[in-house]
Amino acid sequence: MRSLIFLFFTFFALPLCAQNINLGLLRLQNDPRFDEDFAYARIELRAQGDVLTAIEMAINDMKIVTDARGATVVLREAKVGADGLFRAAQNMLTQGITHLIVDLPSNEVDNLATSLAGSNVVMLNTTAPEDWLRSRCHPNLLHTAASDRMIADALVQHAMFHKWRDLLVLRGKTDRDTSRAESFVQAAERYRLRIVDEREFDLSTNPALREQNNIALITGGRRDYDAVYIADEIGEYARYVPYQVARPRPVIGATGLVAAEWHWALERYGAPQVNSRFEKLSTSNRRMSWQDWSAWMAARAVLTAFNKSQDPKMEAVNTYLRSDRLHLDGSKGAQMSFRPWSGQLRMPILLATHNAIIEIAPLEGFLHQTNSLDALGYDEKEFFCDK
Amino acid sequence: MIATFAILETPLLARDTGRTFVSNEKSHDIYVFDAEFNLIKKIETSRRPRDMKLNADRTLLFVACGDDDIIDVIDVESLEIVDGIPTGPSPEVFEFSLDESQIYVSNEEDSMMEIIDLESRITIHNVPTGAEPEGVALAPEGDVIYVTSEVADMVHVVNASTGVVTDNIIVGTRPRRFVMTPDTNELWVSAELSSEIYVIDRASNEITSVLEFLPPGFRPEDVTPVGMTLTRDGSIGLISLGRANHVAVIDAHSKDILAYVLVGRRAWSVALSRDEKTAVVANGLSDDITLINMDTYRPIRSIPVGRVPHTVIIDD
Repeated sequence: MRSLIFLFFTFFALPLCAQNINLGLLRLQNDPRFDEDFAYARIELRAQGDVLTAIEMAINDMKIVTDARGATVVLREAKVGADGLFRAAQNMLTQGITHLIVDLPSNEVDNLATSLAGSNVVMLNTTAPEDWLRSRCHPNLLHTAASDRMIADALVQHAMFHKWRDLLVLRGKTDRDTSRAESFVQAAERYRLRIVDEREFDLSTNPALREQNNIALITGGRRDYDAVYIADEIGEYARYVPYQVARPRPVIGATGLVAAEWHWALERYGAPQVNSRFEKLSTSNRRMSWQDWSAWMAARAVLTAFNKSQDPKMEAVNTYLRSDRLHLDGSKGAQMSFRPWSGQLRMPILLATHNAIIEIAPLEGFLHQTNSLDALGYDEKEFFCDK
Repeated sequence: MIATFAILETPLLARDTGRTFVSNEKSHDIYVFDAEFNLIKKIETSRRPRDMKLNADRTLLFVACGDDDIIDVIDVESLEIVDGIPTGPSPEVFEFSLDESQIYVSNEEDSMMEIIDLESRITIHNVPTGAEPEGVALAPEGDVIYVTSEVADMVHVVNASTGVVTDNIIVGTRPRRFVMTPDTNELWVSAELSSEIYVIDRASNEITSVLEFLPPGFRPEDVTPVGMTLTRDGSIGLISLGRANHVAVIDAHSKDILAYVLVGRRAWSVALSRDEKTAVVANGLSDDITLINMDTYRPIRSIPVGRVPHTVIIDD
């Protein structure tokens, strides 16, 4: 009747290879993206905390396998200023680091990938979501942070699903807010949603700028819309927007319905166990955030490739890491692997409120000709390297 | 409809209760159906009931309740909770020793397989496993326990009397459950996120083959196999394909696919009635069970249950 694929394996036994797996973690001292000062009056605007915990968790999770293979995982970590990054990375390379996990802003990731182009190290970007960084096409760089466009596509799918066809876009003045909003507008265009207007908000009380700082005014006007999208990386403006919109319309993007790699409220796919392991391991018992998940995934991807590659040579491990055989599990119910054209990890994106997962993108009915996860982010045919 | 009743009525022997039990993870209860699949009781259990097993003489039903760290014991006659066995954090799947003096249970949250003495309620061994241990199976000889670790992608082979891990087998992504063939010494493991069933030779602990499934209209990544069962003679295997919303029926010897049966959303646990004429599948996302006619390999009907059904036990 229907055929069944039937493979014989003789090589899956565990070879004793007494090998070291050398991971590096590089972070920026006083990273402005996680500036505690923005967490004004102890109100957490952005997820804070150190991703080191997440990497340690990945190593613990996989220890029983690496032990069984006779391998030892060595983790070296450094937190340095922007001008010390290259030297710190070089230090790690001389210590034998083969896979370097970076928790750095996009410019620093880009510079480092350029500087290290001559070495054999594989870098994994865990926290820089910029689309342009993917388009740089560094051959030594993989991304476990979702790209801006993946986040935007997830939100747009939700808007499509609920027939929110007309959208008002609000954005801040920073580069991050501009590029987030740009990705959102591109995603909306792909699905033929209408952007009724794009307005820049201002975080002040200056009466001369009231069209920008007064929420009722910035969301006012004669043109109706179905939802408000807001790009606000810091979050200080966004948190006041819901319930002050001139029309009774939902708010998505930086507040209200937020798209991200991870959220502690996910109840399925083994996520509660991941969250509770993380909370136990972290010194402050904090909740696992999106950047913790991306860092956990980066370490898991490397360890999985080491454990499952039949050939322990570094070249074979890296080929496995980039292949679709990786079948990486990130407790979001889908098997994941890296896109060969951009080095981006394909993944489901969670659409969450402050305490509930509303949907997991790709939403039902949003299909793709080869892998429905590729409905999120730049598809192969839309993607061009920026040379 | 007539066919349905014929199937359900004729083969039932009145020796036992004829009841079907379905544990519901998120509504914290067990739905009990009579032989005609009429709902006769909802038993409120401790929180998050998951795996269930009947004891050998089918008088007691044991239920692992993940959020209360206890295995509830239910009297099959009275349908009341009569006892509870405390466990480590988040018990998920368990198995009895052959003489039913011990229970082997995976503790999902602290990466242990616990061996508990049933009489004294003392933990005899805590066997460290990879993170998120799930499937537990005992070899028919009673000497070896198999445990999966969902995060480490491994099967641990454990000596049942010493509690020592004697071998580790690397399998596919997110290994879930086991089934053992009665006649060919095979151990099957479902790997949910690499869409495979690993067939392991129990004598050598070597993987002999990897089975893949693809119901019409689905993609390989939609296939997330979890639950499995075999007919008593070991000739036919049933494998639930998760988000591919089908159950695969295969020839357990040649591994040929005999049929794909359309069931509810995210098909998980699957069980066979004793006469092996009906299979019952729990559908985790559509909150129902689907009955399958094993002569025609066609779905008969689906019946609503509680929130997120986990395991089906048929006591007929």
